[in-house]
This record gives sequence, C-alpha cells and structure tokens, in this order.
Amino acid sequence: MLFIDLLVQGLIQGSSYALIAVGLTLVYGLLRILHVAHAGLFTLGAYIAVVVTNTLGSFWLAAVIAPPIVGLAGMLVYRLLYEPILDQPPFVPLIASIGLFICMEEGFRLIFGPYGNSFDEAPFSASLSFGPVYMQGVEAATVVIAFVLLGALAVLAARTRLGTAWRASVTDPQMAQSFGIDIVKVRYLNFFIGSALAAVAGVLVALLNNFVEPTLGSVPSYKMLAIIVLGGLGNVKGTLVAALALGVLESFGTIYAGHLIDRDAIAFLFLIIVLMVRPQGFFGKA
Amino acid sequence: MGAYELSLLTLIGINVMLALSLNLITGFCGQISLGHAAFYGVGAYTGAMLTTSGQPFLLALVVAALFAAVAGVIVGLASLRVREDFLAITTMGVGFLFLGVVRQQEWLGGELGISQIPETGLGDGGFIMLVVGATALVFAASVYLKRTWMGFAFDSIADDEDTARTVGIDVARYKLTAFAFGTAIAGIAGCLYAHYARIIVPDAFGFTVSITILAMVVVGGIGSTIGVTIAAVVLTLMPELFRFVNDYKLLLYGGLLLLTMRYSPQGFAGLVRQAAAKARSKSEATP
Amino acid sequence: MSLLDVSNAFVRFDGVTAVNDVSFSLDDGEFVGLIGPNGAGKTTLLKVISGVLPPGGGRVVLNGQDVSDKPPFVRARAGLGLSHQIVRPFRSMTPVDNVALAAGATETRNPLKALARTDRTAARARARELLDLVGIGDAAEADPSNLPLGYLKRLEVARALALEPKLLLLDEPLAGLNHVEAGRLADTVTAINGQGTTVLLIEHNLSEVMRICRRLLVLDQGRLIADGAPQTVMSDARVRAAYLGESTEDADAAA
Repeated sequence: MLFIDLLVQGLIQGSSYALIAVGLTLVYGLLRILHVAHAGLFTLGAYIAVVVTNTLGSFWLAAVIAPPIVGLAGMLVYRLLYEPILDQPPFVPLIASIGLFICMEEGFRLIFGPYGNSFDEAPFSASLSFGPVYMQGVEAATVVIAFVLLGALAVLAARTRLGTAWRASVTDPQMAQSFGIDIVKVRYLNFFIGSALAAVAGVLVALLNNFVEPTLGSVPSYKMLAIIVLGGLGNVKGTLVAALALGVLESFGTIYAGHLIDRDAIAFLFLIIVLMVRPQGFFGKA
Repeated sequence: MGAYELSLLTLIGINVMLALSLNLITGFCGQISLGHAAFYGVGAYTGAMLTTSGQPFLLALVVAALFAAVAGVIVGLASLRVREDFLAITTMGVGFLFLGVVRQQEWLGGELGISQIPETGLGDGGFIMLVVGATALVFAASVYLKRTWMGFAFDSIADDEDTARTVGIDVARYKLTAFAFGTAIAGIAGCLYAHYARIIVPDAFGFTVSITILAMVVVGGIGSTIGVTIAAVVLTLMPELFRFVNDYKLLLYGGLLLLTMRYSPQGFAGLVRQAAAKARSKSEATP
Repeated sequence: MSLLDVSNAFVRFDGVTAVNDVSFSLDDGEFVGLIGPNGAGKTTLLKVISGVLPPGGGRVVLNGQDVSDKPPFVRARAGLGLSHQIVRPFRSMTPVDNVALAAGATETRNPLKALARTDRTAARARARELLDLVGIGDAAEADPSNLPLGYLKRLEVARALALEPKLLLLDEPLAGLNHVEAGRLADTVTAINGQGTTVLLIEHNLSEVMRICRRLLVLDQGRLIADGAPQTVMSDARVRAAYLGESTEDADAAA
C-alpha cells in the first residue's frame, strides 16, 4: 500500500506546512511583508515544548504556554522591526526579516547548543491503525489539529466582527480606518494569531521528530514563501490547498524523482513554473 | 606577505567581485536577487569540470563566465515577469533549485562535490596577480558603468521602470544586460574560487552565501561601488582577523542586515551622504 | 496626412467598459482637446495610445506604423511623448537629469552603445532649455520629492518634450498650477504646436481648453460623443447633458 502510505505521509507533512504558512500569508495580506522570521517563531515554539517539558515535567503545560508566548513574540517583532519600516519598498522588510531569522537561529544555537534537544521521555508513542494505514497518534493529531484550527480561523474571519475588521483592513486600510476600525490593533492581533499557530506547528513537529535543533526552521522558512505564493498571497484557503498539495507532492517526488532533484527543492521548481505562467499565483489574490 | 595573507587577499578579491557583481544587478538596475550564489556556483562547477578534464585554466575561466551569463539571462527573463518581492522569492527559489539539482547529480560529484581541482599553471604569485587584477578591473568597470548612458538608463529602471519605458528605454534589454554582466562576473569569481580552494562542494554556493553577498551590498549601500567594496573587504576580514567573530559570523551578518534595514536602508553610503548633506546645510546656514 | 489613427479602441476593467469602441484620427499639426466628465475614460484612452495599457481591442497607427502590439518604448521612439496625470518623476534624479535622460533617447537606444558613451553635456544643456521653457529652470538641481505639484506637472511636460515627439499627449498638465502659471504653460504648449508638434490634451480647465484648442473630442462613459470645433461641440445637446449630469465634478475641477 505504498500509494496510500505516501499520500498519508504527504498530508501529515502538508498539515504542519499549513499551520506555519497561514500566519505568513496573513501577514502578507495585511502588510505586504514577506515575514521570513516567522519560521524562527515556529522553531521557538518547538524549543519551548521540549525545554519546558524536560525542566518542569509537564508536556501539557508546555503545549498550553507555547502559543501565547510565541504569539507575544510575534507582536514584538511587528512592533520593533516592521512597524518603523512599513513605508519602505518591499525588499527592505524582507531583508530585515531574513536578518532577524538568521539572528534567531544563531540565538537558539548559543542558548540551547548546536546539537539539538530531544524530550527526555517522548510524551506520546501510541500508534493507530485505520484499515490498512498505520500512523502514529501524533501524526493523526497533527492532521486533526491543523484542520480544526484552520477551520476555526476561517469561521472567525467569515462570521465575526473581528474577521470583518481584518478583511476590511486587508482590502482597503484607509477605508477600514474611516469606518472606525483600529487597524493597528488588527495588525497586532494578526501577528499574535499567526505566530501562535506557528507555535502549535512547532510543538507538533517537536513531537513528530522527538528532536529540535537551531536550524529546524531553515527549510520551512523559505519553503513557506513558495507555498503562500502558490496559494495566492493573503488567501487562506489557497494556502491550505497549496500546503497539502506540496506535502503530497514531496512525498511522491522523493520516491519517484529523488535522483534528479532534492526533496526541498521541489517546492521551488513549482514556484518558479507557476510564477512564470501566472505571476499572480495559482489562486489569485484574496 | 606570507601564505596566509596571500590567501586572505584572494578571498577578499573574490568577495569584492561577487559583491560588485550583485550590486550591478540589484544596486544599479534595481533587480533584487537572493540567489546570486547560484551563478557563483555555475562558474565554479563549470571551471572545475573543465580543468579536471584537462582543459587549460584560462579557457575554463572564459567558459565559466559564459555559462554563468547564460544562466543569468535565463533567470533575468524572470525579472521581466515578476517584480520586487516576487522577484526576490523567484531568485531565492533559483538558488535552492540549483543546489537541489547539483546535490543529486553524480557526474558533478553529488554531495561531495569536485575535489583534486588542478593547479592553474600560473603559479601562486601569478594566480594572486590574476585575482587582484580581475578585482581591480571589476571595480573600475563598475565606476565607469555608473557614468555611462547605460548607467543612466539603469538608474531610471531602478527608480520606476514603467516611466522609463515611456521615455523610450527598452527596459527588458537593459535588465537582461544587467543580469548577463553581473552573473558573468559571478561566474568568473566562482571559477577563481574553485581553483583557489581546489575543492568545491554544493553548500559553498547555498542560500547562506547568497545572503552573505547581499549583506555586503546592503550594508555598504545599495548602488554605491565604493560602499559595497569597503563592506565586502571589512566583512571578509572581520571573521578572519578576530577568531571570536568567526564563531558568530552568521550572527554578525544577520544582525547587520537587520540593523541596516531597520535604521538606514541606504546602508553605510547612505549614512555618509546624509552626514555630508547635514554638514553642507550647516555650513550654508553659518557662512 | 493623419499622424494618429485610433480605431475601435476598447478597454474593460472588472466588468466596467472604460473605453467603448472609440475611433478618431489626428492630422499632423493639430491641437486637439480631449474632454469629458470624470470617469469618462480619457486617461484610459491616452494609456491605450501610449501603450501603457494593453487594450481589449482596437488598433493604434502612429505616423503610418501600426503600433497596436508594440510596447511603450517603441511608441516613444516612433514619436510619442506622454506627460502623466499623476506625476511620476524619477525621484532619484534631479529635474535636469529627468529631462536629460529623455533628451538622450538616441544614446540609450542600444544598451551596448550606451555603454560606450559617457558625455551628458549636450543632453543636460537641452534639458535646461526645456526646464526654462516650461518655467521651472530655477528647480533644475532640486530634489523632486521636495517640489510642489505645479513644478512636477511641468517637469512631466518638459520630459515629454525632450523626446522631440511628433505627437504630444498631455494628461491634465495645468492641474496644480495657479492661474498665471496655467495660462503661461498653455501658451508654451500652443507655441510648440505652432512649430509643428501635434498635441492631444486632456484638461479640466475648460476656459483654457476653449482658448487654445482648435478641435475637441468629447468622451462620456467610454464613448466618443462629439468631435469638432470647440464652439460647435460645446453647444451640442449631448455634450451639455453629459456635463450637466456632472455639475459637482466641475466644481471639483475648478477647486
């Protein structure tokens, strides 16, 4: 059942991509910033999971505090780095973000050591079977959590006042402001939610690999850029589809095209092809 | 000078060439590239493959420049389709794609790269003379180019390419020319590097290297030949002269990128210009 | 002989037809005003002529050459100069360099030849003449970001003139100028037209339009509704209806 196994592995990978990428696409939608350092926040979430579990002995405590801490860190990044340079051309915040991301990786290396950390005792190791498909409990949880959280986000955006304010701020910030929407508050909230979701992904990936290292975010950071472009910048649904599709594509690609191209380069091959054919991305802008 | 100083000089020359070549594309013509190391890599691999199969070094140098320029023009075509941050992602993607493909090619040595790259036949002294000469030439060409009508046209494209078109500038041809020149120089730098190190591995041309080159351009001041040259020299020397800096090399580059963009997006050259303008207005105010 | 032939130009954005089947010709040496209420499609039509905007249909023939599928730089080289409604100076350059770049269009025609040429003296001298001509010679070396709109509007005109165009497209060049400056620039444009340059002018300042143009084209909701001598056109019932429906717009334009 290689086919189904590959598909399932791809969906698991794609779910964690989706959790990270959604924050990035939200930031782009609102501020037109390619927030590369987002992947550093994802890594921070993973470190909190491992380090808090190992020192305080409770994984659940770690899992509960990681999203709000990382969410606050995301707000701080906006306040200290992006807000002062919002009026600059887009390459300025992009390069600043790359700089911050490198600093974060180096920071993790200095604080937590270069060789990576594991849970002293892996919290979950049960595996489940669905007919012919076996998967670890954590893997199943990753898919379920991703769908629940992103579904909740979609409802939030579509059905609540807050969501309306957010969508208005994306489409036309000035108009939104004249309707009394506090767009600064919307931006902070945007960074908080996006970063908290990345932290959830970090916790899940820490569990999946039972390992966290300083460069955990390196590959995702740039791959996420490919995903959000493919999904149509600022388009949450498109991002979700692109993330899952890429996960599946990679898991098949590794088997069938691994001798031609590195797994991590597949995303960019598609990115380049899509951008050249449809410069506005696969699903268009939100 | 001892062997260490000479080797350092070679490294400085190569980095200055790389930084100035990116400055030509990103600084002069305004086309951001986050994958410049790929062209450096094309030059290094082309040169290494040729000399290891017995071709003369100088031929390898020319072909390396040519191959890199062809790759550059192809990637430059992307700059006709996408702009600004989209171009940044595309060129970044090109960098990852280059590495992802090269790593899997057995005929290019895969992960292990190419080793036992032969001597150039110029001798150590001759090789260093070549590197220094090439660097000086690239510097002089940069200064000259900025003063020509080509440089003038580049200025307008970097500023506002749509308006440049309405005053008769063939933007596409100019962009491709910038990519061809810039990547050819990167190819030469790559071929020189391959014959300096005598061994090349894919990771020597990865994203970190692209960012390092970008850091030199950005910190020195996008578009400023002098600023970029100084930044390339200083950023190459610092980790070499101070061991403790070497351990935190990436932190230094990352931090500099961050601080430059946050506080002075025009880099060091921008700060100098501002200071000069301030001094001038002060002297005008108190004659 | 006709210098510009526009036939069946058609532009549609997001379901709105901005330019609807517009056809007209300009003879060599004419001075024509393009008027109509706001949102009538005047600027869009100008963008179709200059090639900035790819039309949904129609043809543009400039000086006998079909340029319908040609990019803006080819049209500029074929003799078309454009001044933008929303000013777009090269902000990294002084006004004199802005104009000199256009004045040196022959120098930049071929990139490799451009690489061999460094002398900007002639182009800069010509640029200074043109800046003086439009009345902003005092700002030749200023930073464009610090200049008022009236200066930047005239910089647009000077830059378009530097191309030595056969056809000059001017999109509201008088906006942002005071009464005296507007009258003077209008006279300058008239004098340039007197030397043989064909002019197509979009302008809200109707009194200036009536004073200087010898023929008017009127657009309303994307359609060409009138074409003829100014007095005849302005007494046309359809034109009056189009304008009366937009009385608030006139107040805006006057303000």
